Amino acid sequence: MQRSEIEKQEASILFRDKPYKIMSKKEKNISGLEKKIKIELDNFTRELETVKNLIELDNLRTKYIGKKSFLIKTLKNIGNLPDDIKPIAGKKSNTVRKKIESDILIKEKIFKNIEYENKLRKEIIDMSLPGRSTAAGRKNIISQVVEEIEEIFIGMGFEIAEGPEVETDYYNFEALNTPSGHPARSLHDTFFISENILLRTHTSPVQIRYMESHKPPLLIIVPGKVYRRDYDVSHTPMFTQIEGLVVDKCINFSNLKWTLETFVHEIFGKDRKVRFRPHYFPFTEPSAEVDVSCNICGGKGCRVCSGSGWLEILGAGMVDPNLYSFVGYNPEEVSGFAFGMGIERICMLKYGINDLRLFFENDLRFISQF
Amino acid sequence: MKVTLNWIGEFLGAERLEPENIASVLTMSGTEVKKVEYISDKYKNIIIGRLVDFSPHPDSDKLSLCEVDIGSSKLNIVCGAKNFKKEDRVAVALPGAKVKDITIRKNKIRGQISEGMMCSEMELGLSSESEGIMILSSNCEIGDSFSKSVGLDDVVLELEITPNRPDCLSVMGIAREISALIGADFVVPEYDLQKRLNIDSKFKIEIEDYDLCPRYSAKLFRNIPNIKSPQWLKNRLILCDVRPINLIVDLTNYVMLETGQPLHAFDKDMLYSNKIIVRRAGKGENIITIDDSIRILDDDALVIADEDKAVAIAGIMGGKDTEISENTKNVLLESANFYGPSIMRTSKKIGLRSEASNRFEKKIDPMLTVFAIRRFEDLLGKVANFKTEECIYDNFKKVERERKINLRVGKVGQVLGKDIDAGLISDILTNLKISNRIKDNIIEATVPSFRYEDLQREIDLIEEVARIYGYDRLDSIPIPASDRRGKYSLYQKTIKDIRQALCDMGLVEVINYSFISAESLKKFKINLEDRYKNNVKILNPINEDFKLLRPTLLPALMKNIKDNINHNIKDIGIFEISKVFKKNSSGKLPFEINTLGMMLTGKAVQKGWNEKERSFDFYDLKGILDFICKRYYPSGSLKIKEKQYRFFHPRVSGTVNIEDLEVGIIGKIHPVIIEETEIVQDAYYMELDMDKFINNIKETKKYKFIPAFPSIDIDLAIVVDNKIKSEDIVNEIKESGTELLKKIRLFDIYRGEQIEKDKKSMAYSLNFRDDTRTLKDTEIEIIVNRILENLGKKFNARIRE
Ligand SMILES: [Zn+2]
Repeated sequence: MQRSEIEKQEASILFRDKPYKIMSKKEKNISGLEKKIKIELDNFTRELETVKNLIELDNLRTKYIGKKSFLIKTLKNIGNLPDDIKPIAGKKSNTVRKKIESDILIKEKIFKNIEYENKLRKEIIDMSLPGRSTAAGRKNIISQVVEEIEEIFIGMGFEIAEGPEVETDYYNFEALNTPSGHPARSLHDTFFISENILLRTHTSPVQIRYMESHKPPLLIIVPGKVYRRDYDVSHTPMFTQIEGLVVDKCINFSNLKWTLETFVHEIFGKDRKVRFRPHYFPFTEPSAEVDVSCNICGGKGCRVCSGSGWLEILGAGMVDPNLYSFVGYNPEEVSGFAFGMGIERICMLKYGINDLRLFFENDLRFISQF
Repeated sequence: MKVTLNWIGEFLGAERLEPENIASVLTMSGTEVKKVEYISDKYKNIIIGRLVDFSPHPDSDKLSLCEVDIGSSKLNIVCGAKNFKKEDRVAVALPGAKVKDITIRKNKIRGQISEGMMCSEMELGLSSESEGIMILSSNCEIGDSFSKSVGLDDVVLELEITPNRPDCLSVMGIAREISALIGADFVVPEYDLQKRLNIDSKFKIEIEDYDLCPRYSAKLFRNIPNIKSPQWLKNRLILCDVRPINLIVDLTNYVMLETGQPLHAFDKDMLYSNKIIVRRAGKGENIITIDDSIRILDDDALVIADEDKAVAIAGIMGGKDTEISENTKNVLLESANFYGPSIMRTSKKIGLRSEASNRFEKKIDPMLTVFAIRRFEDLLGKVANFKTEECIYDNFKKVERERKINLRVGKVGQVLGKDIDAGLISDILTNLKISNRIKDNIIEATVPSFRYEDLQREIDLIEEVARIYGYDRLDSIPIPASDRRGKYSLYQKTIKDIRQALCDMGLVEVINYSFISAESLKKFKINLEDRYKNNVKILNPINEDFKLLRPTLLPALMKNIKDNINHNIKDIGIFEISKVFKKNSSGKLPFEINTLGMMLTGKAVQKGWNEKERSFDFYDLKGILDFICKRYYPSGSLKIKEKQYRFFHPRVSGTVNIEDLEVGIIGKIHPVIIEETEIVQDAYYMELDMDKFINNIKETKKYKFIPAFPSIDIDLAIVVDNKIKSEDIVNEIKESGTELLKKIRLFDIYRGEQIEKDKKSMAYSLNFRDDTRTLKDTEIEIIVNRILENLGKKFNARIRE
């Protein structure tokens, strides 16, 4: 309720009796007292307006509702009044006392708020000082990009499969159409544990393992570490790959194009062009290499893309029907595609990193940048 | 592989080959062009000059002042060579020309003006050494560009040939490919390939195993002329990165580059007899190859031998003894076909790869051998005006080299996602020299010999159609909706969550190689711990640092903190989630355990304007462990059991257990190891077996009523002996606290003046609650008194006043 409304209400209670009514003696006595009370209230209201601080307000309180004030004295002496006036007089003076009390409280709150505010304003706090430090953790850039890629493919309905890093010759080569003596083997310089056990040279063996234990339809991607016996400026003996495999009833090369185009646009941006070039992999047929347009030169050709305007990022192709015979699928009933990419290369292209070795040096000044 | 455009042009009925266009069609058909090199650019501002006159330099014995006519003017050039005479044609590098990466400028040499440079063959990149400047044929036109005059006005394409296309490892093969791509004619010289065998010859070729050598063709060249290779021939070899040697060797290389068939020339007079034997090497048999190395062979290597000894390692390299020399008069030219996998195995074993072995490995066409000999003959005749009536010896096993494949037109559409017209498919195959006819939506194709290995099945032909049709012309169609449920498995999700949680707690994720040296295991005394024995060894490591697969992440993380401390980053919290390896029984794949390793060192809190500095301690590490455990095992209790590991501080070393399951180890790196590693600050390490940790998570969360009645907190400080463990006190409090005791929290430990020596005060806050009623102070008092009494009995504990 607004203050003015409270006042109005109070006043209407006080002067409920109609003024034009002819008054009896008793009524006269009451109205005399009433007048006095009203004058008291009027004086209070007027003085309250002029009060400037809590001390003055306290004085005002003493004056109007203190022990020696007219109102309190009246209330104290009510017992001495004639019985017929008592209730009315008591009621009237009490109402006014309450009104004064509440007015003072309201005023007091205002003064206190002002005082508090003034006190706060005197405090000096430099908000430009550094915040209390929280240690800055960081996911490795490789994990970040792997997770980003995983999420893109999960969005397209893929699951994540994994497999051992130490593999048999069978899964790493033979079941992938690369029997002993196959020329493509010379492209994979391999670490051996024994004659038939080796460090996987790619994540592709998981294709075979997964197909052996699952029936189509299947959509998987396979992230993981792979190993090749190469160690120079542009090769590390361990690196990270993500493999993809889709097998279902009528999967075709156009589905492969759509999937990888969608992926490239997600990870590098919609403005990048994608190019599919014929290539050769022993376990896909037809095979393709996938290029993305160079963002440094915009496709005109520069040092980064060795003048071609394109950056190679993926190997892909339709799963060679031979693979199905290794896992007990009927190549006339199912078809599919597979693809693979090097994560470090994606990171390098995405963030403009020019030295592969940085990925495994674990210099915190490097890791913390991403 | 490098080829030149002019060379390719010799086999194509095309007017002009636009280099960029050829590069683009090759790349887009699967033969990636890595680089297009315009040779004339290299020889810019190098032109033909005529030496008018010369005189000695006034201030130098070695230099001459030359006057050179370059057509438009005459130049003064100071030259250090002496091998010229008046009227010689020379290559003049004008100011602005680049010679061996140095830009030629007009300058003064010992006071004499020199307006250019007369170049030597070496300076022109045409030989690895030269004496004096290059003197050119007098036919060269004065003022003409050098590159045009000597046939270097060419473009070199650097190609990446995929292993399935041995037919493309040659100029002719590339020309044939281009002819299919641009629709030009493929023009091959026509030689007589049939009339070849001389029955009553004294010369014999014996092949012991036709599987390893399906064909051996050879020809004798008697009284070969002793002349040098012409410049054009040398130029082509140089442009293709082959070093010219002598006419015969240069021609064998030239024909190999051109046809793809490796040739080898023997000095016939150095052969022991009139018999060539293709056989396996004897165990330990050795041969000195033309690169002057002794090669020790084993019995699966194939050699070419005379009746005395091996004279060449088949398909890889010839022997020193029968090498062509300046004095060679009679040559035996070998043009053979060897079994690829065998050549590959031997070449790998002896660590020697050559242009020849690279081609044989990929299984080249056995029909090429005689053609290559005829080509050699043809070129030798042209270059040296040499004619011979000798026959070609040819020993081979008859093999089927034509393959019939039926290609279903509908299958092409199925695989590619786009229907391609039968006529168009037929045309594409025809252009690829695959003869075919269309019959009822099936194309009956016949694959020629040079694609015999590569094209075996219907799908192989579909790939041919696709790559010539163009991948860019195929559509892009979403995968048909099927039973898809993209998601992480619970295991994968947990790993991802833990990784994220650790990063949120301020740790940085590292990734190290899976390899480790035996030395480094020793250094950290890891080799002495049973836990880490049975390491997986690599048979062919790059070096000693990469010898084993690591059984623990500890050494790698130690190296990471050391490397970073060296970069003055000293306050480090790192972790890695990677596999560690352990040997399995023989013949089986090793055990791979996904492991979380974590290391803290330096300061946990930096000194700040409002913070006190604080170093990491054991409890920081344990706090992180607590956090992870609580998240996945909310009601499982985490226990660290003391267990000594040699790499940990003897008092801060233990296993991590969840209930009774041991999931890892935790401790403080032994100060001696810290000292030896020169890290000079404490480090704490923890390793968790993620497989065990995650696979045992069983808890399914269930709602518990939010307490409706207030709880009572009581603080309790007791004084006990220093060596009493908090865990034991807590267990005792739990025991005596009845089911009303819901939580215990240690909030203070005090040692010092106010209590006796060797004692500590432990202050716990106990929280009591009953879910069905409000507790009375009096009943709690009774419980607390009982707790105190029992603590007193058990640990001689007394309440702290
Ligand atoms: Zn570029």
